Amino acid sequence: MKKRLYLELENCIGCRSCLAACTQCGGHEERNRNYVYDVNPLVNRQTMPLMCLHCVNPACARSCPAQAIQIHETGAVLSALVEKCIGCQNCTIACPYGIPKFDTEQNLMYKCDLCIDRSKDGIPPMCASVCPSNTLQWLTDEEIEAKQKQFNLDNGKWVTSMPYLEGETNVRVNLPGILQGVTKLF
Amino acid sequence: MQRDNYKNERDKYFKEIENLNHPNETLVKTHCSYCAMQCGMNLRVNTKTNKIIGVEPRYDWPVTLGKMCPKGVTAYQQVNNKDRLLKPLIRDDQSLKGTKNGFREASWDEAYDLIVKKFTELQTTYGKDSLSVYSGVSMTNEKCYLTGKFARVGLQTRYIDYNGRFCMASAAGGLNRSLGIDRGSTIPWTDVHETDCIFLAGSNTAECHPTMMFRVWAIQERGGYVIVADPRETPVARRADLHLDLKPGTDLALANGIVNLLIQNGYADEEFVKNHTNGFEETKELVKEFTPEYTSEITGVAPEKIIRAAELYGKAPNAIVMFARGIEQQIKGVDNVSAYTNMALVTGKIGRAKSGVATITGQGNGQGGREHGQKADALPGYRKIANPDHVKYVSKVWGIEPEEMPKEGVSAFEMFGLMEQKTIRSLYLLCSNPAVSAPDQNYVREQMKNLDFMVCVDFFLSESAEFADVVLPTTTWAEDEGTTTNVEGRIIKINRAQMPLGESKPDWQIQIEIAERLGRGKYFSHLKTSKDVFNELRVASKGGTADYYGVTWEKIDKQDGVFWPCKDESDPGTPHLFLDKKFNHPDGKAKILALPYRPSAEEPDEKYPLRLTTGRVVYHYLSGNQTRRIQFLRDMCPEPFVEVHPETAEKYSIEHEEYVRLYTRRGEATYKVKITEAIRKDTVFVPYHWGHEKSINLLTIGALDPYSRMPEFKTCAAQIEKMKTRAVQ
Ligand code: SF4
Ligand code: SF4
Ligand code: SF4
Ligand code: SF4
Repeated sequence: MKKRLYLELENCIGCRSCLAACTQCGGHEERNRNYVYDVNPLVNRQTMPLMCLHCVNPACARSCPAQAIQIHETGAVLSALVEKCIGCQNCTIACPYGIPKFDTEQNLMYKCDLCIDRSKDGIPPMCASVCPSNTLQWLTDEEIEAKQKQFNLDNGKWVTSMPYLEGETNVRVNLPGILQGVTKLF
Repeated sequence: MQRDNYKNERDKYFKEIENLNHPNETLVKTHCSYCAMQCGMNLRVNTKTNKIIGVEPRYDWPVTLGKMCPKGVTAYQQVNNKDRLLKPLIRDDQSLKGTKNGFREASWDEAYDLIVKKFTELQTTYGKDSLSVYSGVSMTNEKCYLTGKFARVGLQTRYIDYNGRFCMASAAGGLNRSLGIDRGSTIPWTDVHETDCIFLAGSNTAECHPTMMFRVWAIQERGGYVIVADPRETPVARRADLHLDLKPGTDLALANGIVNLLIQNGYADEEFVKNHTNGFEETKELVKEFTPEYTSEITGVAPEKIIRAAELYGKAPNAIVMFARGIEQQIKGVDNVSAYTNMALVTGKIGRAKSGVATITGQGNGQGGREHGQKADALPGYRKIANPDHVKYVSKVWGIEPEEMPKEGVSAFEMFGLMEQKTIRSLYLLCSNPAVSAPDQNYVREQMKNLDFMVCVDFFLSESAEFADVVLPTTTWAEDEGTTTNVEGRIIKINRAQMPLGESKPDWQIQIEIAERLGRGKYFSHLKTSKDVFNELRVASKGGTADYYGVTWEKIDKQDGVFWPCKDESDPGTPHLFLDKKFNHPDGKAKILALPYRPSAEEPDEKYPLRLTTGRVVYHYLSGNQTRRIQFLRDMCPEPFVEVHPETAEKYSIEHEEYVRLYTRRGEATYKVKITEAIRKDTVFVPYHWGHEKSINLLTIGALDPYSRMPEFKTCAAQIEKMKTRAVQ
């Protein structure tokens, strides 16, 4: 059963375990490929992860003059092929979320590959495995649909962001605010 | 106490997930080395080098399902860390005590010979009790148990205590007094997400026990409530339905205020109170005074919030009260624990699934480590030295005469007082780092420096090792096997993934070898493996409150852990306590306690107008001796800081990231300012994971709770001073 990365940003507690976990995946050379931001550091402790959304029509890959960014059959947008990447950094500018990172020493781009050594066999990526708050989850489409029903508001005031932020993405995102639709038990 | 039918608690979150298996690697199932969540993990071991090289989630561990905080993810990097101690170290020049300098490598034989010579000399001249053992609970039950026996039978001293005095002693005292038993949680953690209201008091849950957060958030997703009492708007408080932003040190008033409203507004369960508790009427009388307005005056929490908290907790069909070091590290920590437990006892929300009381245990084996006799007054199975029958039983297991059993000693912090008086002249320190973690550091360091002889057993050269004459290299958690007892009271198995690095040895082996050289081998030499030690522990705890007799390593594997009490081989253990509403006091009733409010040891005044409170960050564990050596964690949080509210900062004309001098009556230090609205205006916060001149414990107070002897880390009076020239770090 196909599973996807699903983000529920409201849950994030800023522990940055996702960053630690990303350093642990095969082929990651102990460098993490994701980000966690303090939303308003002088005010409160709100944080949010920023992850590659694995765009269906990825701007990073389109912008690459050397076709170094391959798309895996699962839809995962892979990190640049070492032998093809020319270090032009077009992708870092093209990505609407600023995801690709650049290694100036090796003159090489690197980015989230959805832990392809795991996710190709349906094993959850490292970040989604460890995330203590369930901000990052690895779910089937049915489970995601249930989430969508659970959190979509019918009061016309506010709807969470699923299915897409900008273009179509393989990763599904729920912005903060999911609890606004919850009916309290008492 | 009635048992529930043990079922392998696999809740709705449980999924069958296969692990990624890399070629030439095996996975060894174990648990994290750090906090009492004891997250399940697999260690990746290279089958060619037989070395631990990484971590893989343990999806089938029912409590944490593969989740880990950043400490857990990187925990394996301790094992083959470049800072590991590989050989015993001896320092001949005593004038270098208190520094890293002067150590030379030595053989185990030379180190043992020196230890035995010094211990014997001191005991011959000054008596048996001139030696002391200061231990910790970030190690297995086997080690904790043997350390107690080592002190009392091997060294024959009464002076043994442990770092749980800084961690769990108040919770233990309060729970024993209220419920008659000290198992940290009355429910398994797989109940947490199913409750309707969770009341978290003095717990920075998201940073200190992150992997329970998915269960906390799930309560809100179902329409339930999260209430947090904390001076700071921690990450869990930020999303809570209600944040009770109290002044540090005023929990007792808040709890009394809420209990008053629960009673006044008809949320008391009269049947339950009548049949299963004592003390309701006295308590009702005492808390009357704690009207929302009066409670607000003391705590600084708005009256409406106090009223709302009582209403939510009172209305909830099921509710859990949880607390942690925030309420416990106070001179009234034991009272705070009992006062918050009163909420559950008055409303009858205890003794059933999804409702109850829990302290969120700090150290990995904070529960098991306090049960088996390394506490100054305790013997295995939660027995007491003050009880002659208990002494008789344990003496028999140990093969000594009851008269030979040393008397009660003193608490961890009080041992430093005895060092000052020269009653204690030597220290055997293991699994702890008091040169960072004890309060009033200037005093504590002075006492360690003046010891006649000190041994430190650790796998890194800690700040405390800098005071030692001999440092013995021990193993990390992944190089030995044994059991720990997690936050729930579930006994679990730690497995060995690698052979000991260098010449390091597990603590239990070191202690047996020293005992043998002191001529006490006949009490120890039959213990050849940690499993032998566990089997002796089972017998020693048999019939005690914390009865482990029915727990075997095999049963732990088969059942995903065993909850104590577990009395015999056929007993599956006890996940829920008090299902039959029988509490562990002789009359079977719990105690609702009338607890008058009293102020903190040091209230703010004109000279020291701020309240200083201390705590942790998610990236570091306890004294930081382990986590500060791990690159990722160090990068995330390289140095301490002081959190200051923007209005307070303006008053002192200090800015974000500026260095300031923070001082109290006991000491001072320089910290980088972190401006945040997520703290009270009258309070500043500094995390305590650093040593030397950066230690916030240079400033904290050594005032102790009268029952638990736990220091008041959570509040003292402080002042900030702007620096004339900016300090360069
Ligand atoms: S692991 Fe989860 S909770 Fe922690 S920072 Fe990453 S997304 Fe947030
Ligand atoms: S989010 Fe950015 S890096 Fe990821 S696939 Fe889309 S364009 Fe590429
Ligand atoms: S999916 Fe894998 S590569 Fe991508 S951010 Fe998560 S851990 Fe890193
Ligand atoms: S430190 Fe605690 S929460 Fe973090 S991984 Fe270890 S046991 Fe789990």
